[in-house]
Amino acid sequence: MSLVAHATPSGYLLPSIHSAPPFFTKQINPTTRSIADDHWTRIILGYARHRRLFTLRVEDAETSGNEWDEIFRNERINRRLLPDHLASLISSMVANNLAVYEPPKQSRSVLLYWRRPEEWADVLHSWVASTGQMNTIMTFYEITDPPVESPLSSLPIVILRKAIDVLSKSARAQIIAIADGEGVRFFPGGNKI
Amino acid sequence: MGGNQSVPKVTPQDRAILDLKLQRDKLRQYQKKIQVILDREHEIAKAHLATGQKDRAVIALRRRKYQQGLLVKTDGQLENLEQLVSTIEFSLVEVSVLHGLKQGNEVLKEIHKEMNVESVEKLLEETAEARAYQREIDEMLANNLSLDEEEAVQDELKELQALAMVEAKQEVDAKLPSVPTERPAEVADPVPTPEPAREGGDRVAVPA
Repeated sequence: MSLVAHATPSGYLLPSIHSAPPFFTKQINPTTRSIADDHWTRIILGYARHRRLFTLRVEDAETSGNEWDEIFRNERINRRLLPDHLASLISSMVANNLAVYEPPKQSRSVLLYWRRPEEWADVLHSWVASTGQMNTIMTFYEITDPPVESPLSSLPIVILRKAIDVLSKSARAQIIAIADGEGVRFFPGGNKI
Repeated sequence: MGGNQSVPKVTPQDRAILDLKLQRDKLRQYQKKIQVILDREHEIAKAHLATGQKDRAVIALRRRKYQQGLLVKTDGQLENLEQLVSTIEFSLVEVSVLHGLKQGNEVLKEIHKEMNVESVEKLLEETAEARAYQREIDEMLANNLSLDEEEAVQDELKELQALAMVEAKQEVDAKLPSVPTERPAEVADPVPTPEPAREGGDRVAVPA
């Protein structure tokens, strides 16, 4: 039996291991399991980046017909990822700081960090610089929902806030709060922390 | 420098701008909501028409029309808000330009204070004096030489020039070939080579 990489309908290239039936079973041997978990983590984050997905729920493995079908189901070998396997994957991702429970204090749904908040901070700052919006007061809605598609479109506010926190530590951003809501202002400040 | 540069203080203007922008975002979200309602009413009307309930379809369409009117109205409001925001931001730019001009002006004034007309005149006068003094010294030094000495200098110059001339001539002589002593033999006029006749030079058209 030869395993080959497979491209999904949305254009994401699944590695050959995804066509191996044992890959969809939770491994008992800790070494094997950690290797399989690594592969799963890489596939999940890569796919999330490819489709710009930010949330992952245990429920996504329980039902079909959602955007995760392409990687959680492999019809060619008639296998699917089981919910409790996904739950353990999610908890290991959270432990490795590759995801964070959102909302906190539950373990069914996570925000995926296919970019760390620090990396998002960089993306955010260079986007603001390239669009000439330094020193301008902006609302969060304006950043995550711009009329034209940007690298930050549909970024969850939670991640945005973390990225802004990173920037404000080096005085490159400032949060302005008023009764009605919050806004942010960015500053050039080249030196990093 | 410390790790934390200070960020500018939040002024009431900043708050006002933020407030306006938040209102604008709310309007945009509202528009999104209306758009959803519009689509929904359209679907409802379609469904009613499919089941033959014409009057219900008409009601749905009427509701849709009303929402459409709201959408147009919010468009107007949105435009107003955005204009206001732009105006405020532009005024802030103008203020900073004015500030820049003011500072530039002050610097210029400072510089002018150090460089008033009197001091420049005085400086120029002093320079002229110094130049005159220098010229005097020059003349004095030049006049120090007596007539004899001057003549000797001129003689030396001539001697040097003559030497240079001789040297130059020698150099030229060394380079040139000697003049031939014999008369060159007469060379016969070169015979012009006849042009080779072109093959089939003149063709005569043969009548068909």
